[in-house]
Amino acid sequence: MYNKAEVTRELQKIPWFKEIEPRHLEKITDIAHLRHVRAGEVLFREGDKEDFLYIVIEGRVALDIFVPHRGKVRIYTAEPWDLFGWSSVTPTIHQRTAGAVAVVDGVVVGIDSAKLRQLCEEDHDLGYLVMRRLTNIVASRLLVTRLQLIDMFGSPEEKNAK
Amino acid sequence: MTAIAPETAKSHSGFLLEPHWAEITAITPEADGISTYWIRFTDPAEQEAFRFEPGQFNMLYLPGFGESAISISSNPQDHEKIGHTIRFVGNVTRAVSRLKVGDIVGLRGPFGTYWPMKEIEGKDIFIACGGIGLPPLRPALYHIIQNREKYGKVTLLYGARTSGDLMFPNEYAEWRKAGIDVEITVDRGDANWNGRVGVVPMWFYQFRIDSRKTAVLTCGPEIMIRFVIFEAMARRVPSESIYVSLERNMKCGQGSCGHCQMGPYFICKDGPVFRFDELQSFFNVEEF
Amino acid sequence: MPSDRLPDIGSTITIEKPAFNLLLSRLKEEGYLPIGPRIKNDSLIYEEIESLEDLPRGYSTEQKPGSFRLVREKHARYFDIIPGSHSWKQFLFPSRVELFTLRKNGKGWENTTQPAEIPSYAFIGVRACELAAIQIQDNIFMRSDFTDPIYRARRQRVFIVSVNCTHPAETCFCTSMGTGPRVKELFDLSLTELDDVFVLTVGSQLARRLMTGIPFDDASGYILTNVEHRLNHAEQQMRRRLDTSDLPELILEHLDHPYWNEIGKRCLSCASCTQVCPTCFCWDTQDEMSLDGKTAKRTRVWDSCFNPGYSHQAGGNTRPTIYSRYRQWMSHKFGTWKQQYGTLGCVGCGRCITWCPAEIDITEEIAALRNEVKR
Repeated sequence: MYNKAEVTRELQKIPWFKEIEPRHLEKITDIAHLRHVRAGEVLFREGDKEDFLYIVIEGRVALDIFVPHRGKVRIYTAEPWDLFGWSSVTPTIHQRTAGAVAVVDGVVVGIDSAKLRQLCEEDHDLGYLVMRRLTNIVASRLLVTRLQLIDMFGSPEEKNAK
Repeated sequence: MTAIAPETAKSHSGFLLEPHWAEITAITPEADGISTYWIRFTDPAEQEAFRFEPGQFNMLYLPGFGESAISISSNPQDHEKIGHTIRFVGNVTRAVSRLKVGDIVGLRGPFGTYWPMKEIEGKDIFIACGGIGLPPLRPALYHIIQNREKYGKVTLLYGARTSGDLMFPNEYAEWRKAGIDVEITVDRGDANWNGRVGVVPMWFYQFRIDSRKTAVLTCGPEIMIRFVIFEAMARRVPSESIYVSLERNMKCGQGSCGHCQMGPYFICKDGPVFRFDELQSFFNVEEF
Repeated sequence: MPSDRLPDIGSTITIEKPAFNLLLSRLKEEGYLPIGPRIKNDSLIYEEIESLEDLPRGYSTEQKPGSFRLVREKHARYFDIIPGSHSWKQFLFPSRVELFTLRKNGKGWENTTQPAEIPSYAFIGVRACELAAIQIQDNIFMRSDFTDPIYRARRQRVFIVSVNCTHPAETCFCTSMGTGPRVKELFDLSLTELDDVFVLTVGSQLARRLMTGIPFDDASGYILTNVEHRLNHAEQQMRRRLDTSDLPELILEHLDHPYWNEIGKRCLSCASCTQVCPTCFCWDTQDEMSLDGKTAKRTRVWDSCFNPGYSHQAGGNTRPTIYSRYRQWMSHKFGTWKQQYGTLGCVGCGRCITWCPAEIDITEEIAALRNEVKR
């Protein structure tokens, strides 16, 4: 385990956390831990119970979905300061919808999702900031997904040829 | 009784669309359905005289099949051979895919505007491109490498559908060595891909740029270009510092046949490279 | 009147109508191929003419949106018709012309194109709007940075006999476009037809020389007044209007307007308007290969922004819908053309109205767009 000061220092590098009042940051670091990951290390798998929201501090974490006959398809990679596992903070989904694997050695911060949700419930000022950040993340994921869905490098000719 | 004035073959500016002839000297497969054709003019004087600017294109001609506009993807300082990176998607390019080394093709060019390598000296350069949008930017990369001291921070953000679709992967190390930050992303990864997965406009967001001194150069699918511009504008890069290379149906390369029009522009002569402020009012009009 | 007298350039004279045949003979002696309006298979076309008698004497034309009819009249005038679907464009910018033929020679190809034989045309009966269209195409095909050799070879040896329009059709709107009905420049000879004489204004040295031996009179004050009167009358007769005061902005600032969809529903994308338009200049290439693979030919043909393949490229079709193609046509003619060539791309000849099978009337559409925009 890493000490709280170390977690605080890492989180404070992230622009978003600069907006958070010290009393709130204190509460978040109470439920957070720093985790070193090795290339290939699985952080969670599809179907796992949702426990932590992650923030990448160093390295790169890939999200993948297993597709029968195609293997694992990488749908997204998170880089430093990006979040993943965000759906664990929303109360409706209880299982991981994608797996997460570190593709290079790195460091992530894990925040206990259930406790974070509880903090947001108890203090809506903090709740607003957290949810606003998550909304931004979701919006950006949605844009990426849309552009992937459009398959912008495809051409009608190619499709006709197939 | 009607006098006919014979027109000599070479009167005026010669034949319309008359090709010059060039021999294929090498073919480099780049990705599935994409190869680079290296050619030399059969007339040494023509080869010697041929010069182009990064971002310009040639009309490649196959007798019996027709012409296709192909951007020049090679080093502008290499006067020995000219590279055309071709995706086999149309009638002409599919016919090109059956050609071999030693075969003869017709060529006209170079045509069009080019990347503003002179105007952007002293600036940081952010190149955001996707798919087959990298080949027309490769001459610009060579130019930057040869004149590295004239530019600030240079970033190449390049995306393709899958890792197998990435163009010129063997050159990234060399470009990095020359001081270009090469950032690669793919739309879809597999378990062996340890690089980024995502799309170019979104990764653009991750990079710090100084909007006052950065020139953005972009080329690729029009939808990608749109979002790259969107992101660049959101980052307060002025539209005068954004340069776009566009693609349209082209038949003549001389602003004569009408096909490649976009608003007041003939993409073949007023483009393909535009400063975005010139295009802004037409760019988001659907099906224009 | 001494027969060796020649009219001065810029002067206006009259000749007896039959004397025009002398002029046609002179032109042929000089190597020209006279082309004029004539009736063939109940159509009014531009084709080679031998004499005045080939012209549509005693006819007028009745033109409406989607309709063209030749009408037999009681008069004996030659030039009372208003042109049909043909325009002079087809002689200067042929609808189909060979670019070159190549023959396989070892690994490569040899250009075996035979020198093209290009007639020196004498255009007989060019209207003011048509002259304006020729001028517009001159700007397109003979730009300072690019000259089309096919066009130039034809254009530079054309002899033009223009005609002042005294009986405009219902579809005409040249007064709105500032191009007619009065011919002002660019002619070798400018003709106005009165009941018994042709009134000619001499515009070039060659025209002056051609008058050698042809009896003429100086146009009297009475004749000149008569011509003036007829032209003024023609101007007044022209009721169709196109307000150009807010063009090109009206169109270019409303490219997203829902009205385009409305026109798109009526337009058939048949390309007729672009084929009959005397200024439309888009072209395509066609490639042929002989069966033995040894001879390849390139041909240039007219194209149209209404053809689905026109904007087709490797990434797909830029304009897959009819509304977008109509908008391309209209926004080019009345919008971006100005930025490209300094003028609008329309001369007000009305052909696109007459020959539209869907009866789309450009003057009404622009007025309707203007009303929609104001709402």
